[in-house]
Amino acid sequence: MGIAIHGAHKAYRSRRKQPIAALTEVDLHVARGELMVVVGPSGSGKSTLLRATAGLEALDAGRIEIGGRDVTTAAPGDRDISLVFQDYALFPHLTVAENIAFGQRARGVPKTQITTDVAQAATMLGLTAALARYPRELSGGERQRVALARAMIRRPKAFLLDEPLASLDPDLRLRTRAEIRELQRRLGVSMLYVTHDQTEALALGDRIAVVRAGRIEQVGTPDELYSRPSTAFIARFIGTLPMNLLPPEALGRENGPVTGIRPERTHLAHAGHGHLTGRIAAVEPSGEETVLHVVCPDTTRILVRVPSSDGVPRPGSETGITWSNADEHHFASAEGPRTA
Amino acid sequence: MNEQHCQPTRPTPHRRWDRARTPSLRHRPTALALPWLAATALLVGIPLIGSAWLAFTDYYGFGAPSFTGLDNWHRLATDETFWHSLANSAKIAAIAIPLRTALAIGCALLLHRRSSMNSAARTAVFLPSIIPDAAWALLWLWLLNPLYGPLPLTLEAFGLPSPGWFTDPAAAQGGLALVASLQMGEGFLVALAARRLLPGSLHEAAAMEGAGRIFTFRRITLPLMAPILTLLALRDVVLLLHTTFIPALLITAGEPHSATLVAPLYVYRRAFLYGELGYASTLSITLLITAAAVAAAQLIVLHRTRLLELL
Repeated sequence: MGIAIHGAHKAYRSRRKQPIAALTEVDLHVARGELMVVVGPSGSGKSTLLRATAGLEALDAGRIEIGGRDVTTAAPGDRDISLVFQDYALFPHLTVAENIAFGQRARGVPKTQITTDVAQAATMLGLTAALARYPRELSGGERQRVALARAMIRRPKAFLLDEPLASLDPDLRLRTRAEIRELQRRLGVSMLYVTHDQTEALALGDRIAVVRAGRIEQVGTPDELYSRPSTAFIARFIGTLPMNLLPPEALGRENGPVTGIRPERTHLAHAGHGHLTGRIAAVEPSGEETVLHVVCPDTTRILVRVPSSDGVPRPGSETGITWSNADEHHFASAEGPRTA
Repeated sequence: MNEQHCQPTRPTPHRRWDRARTPSLRHRPTALALPWLAATALLVGIPLIGSAWLAFTDYYGFGAPSFTGLDNWHRLATDETFWHSLANSAKIAAIAIPLRTALAIGCALLLHRRSSMNSAARTAVFLPSIIPDAAWALLWLWLLNPLYGPLPLTLEAFGLPSPGWFTDPAAAQGGLALVASLQMGEGFLVALAARRLLPGSLHEAAAMEGAGRIFTFRRITLPLMAPILTLLALRDVVLLLHTTFIPALLITAGEPHSATLVAPLYVYRRAFLYGELGYASTLSITLLITAAAVAAAQLIVLHRTRLLELL
């Protein structure tokens, strides 16, 4: 067992002494060697979940196990886990080597052992040449790797990462993402990875937990989340483009469920044909594909993604939209649970 | 800590119109400091120059100063009382500076978290620094009084000997250092601000790595606050050459056995008890040079150890 969180509950008090629930009845199980991504909008409670797992914040109720051991009341340093902070939290007055060795020194590991461990961690992360330098002399990517090296040197049972790519350039982000994945596989440890970026979640996670307003809405593989989102919120949140959610009226029905259709599963048809007809409000080419914003007569907006090679229609023109009924999702409401 | 270097905005020549619109003061911080600099020149600079001139004269407050060349300086070289008073000042500073710094950082670390209890305690720590120095000194005259002072009485109640604040030379120096040390409110505020500036994630990272409180203090908190604490200690050297004057005058009057005859008290006596304003100026200038030399030496050490780079 990697990490098991049972019935975690945490509330903060606002200035008016009103309790604000940060976590409500959260259950999450990260298997040994699994990379679990916790994703959600900012303020959803994902950071609180991570910090509670790390022991930096106490839960009001619930239980946390790491490696099969109950650590609910254990100090952060006694949980056999490492945390990589969003700002890396490198000690500015210590060299890279001293930063990496910090935990080992605090625990009184013999010096010769520390030297070996630091050298090994540095080799693994390509930091050997930087060992004598100070954090301020490093690039963003190097700082990130020092934080990872400091986290892995004592071979913890689990890794926690808090938005580790947030302060990196986009191209570096892509590379570091792959490096983190590779490192996790090589070490075979459980990893709990928090991000607000669903692309990162889909790319990295063995499984993904979507958090919203302090609750876990769905836990599943990237494919499950994409093809069978359990709520309309997830349908909009997961995917490069949010899923189109159509109220029954938009499809000419009196009542019924909200229909969801992914922009990439829609096709253009002649005006007056297909499921819907609307006016093209905007055209966004993005290389191979083009995204069209179509506004229906009842003001419902629909995103349509079509191959650019099909010939891109002009903004302002009328078009029909069609899709296969098998690709439809149905939800009780625009935020609500899946019905079929 | 020093990753964000702000680039000052420099007005470029082709944006001259910009300057016409915005007040030029915005681009010239020195202009803003001018009133202060003018007052300093007037109230400190000119008297200082006058004092430097008087240091080479005989002057008793009446008539004109008469130039005596290096006579005052020859007298200074053999004035054992002055060197004794300077040694007293140094001894008191040697006790008070570490004590003040330790108290300031200790209180800052104990009280930096936000809570109403801490808030009240912070006020209490700062309070002695806003009490007028004379009132503070007279308060201690009562506190330390061997016959009815609360401090000796308390010690007596526990069967402990009173150190003889007014009778034993070393105890008197220690007492003065204590009086000066508890007025460390400003240092406390600076230490408090320095502690609050440390990113919270550093201490959390230390906790994650299993560092205990003492290890974290030694390896993280203290080194990161060291530059500011060093500056505080540096300032205290200059400060303590002066602030011991009032308690030495009001509590111990320089006694016992001249143990608390601190340098500024001796200068004061030369000037206003014996009316030797010329020679007192010589002593003042010597004190100023001493303070400047000590401060310069500390700055050199600071730059050598590169402590300031961490700021």
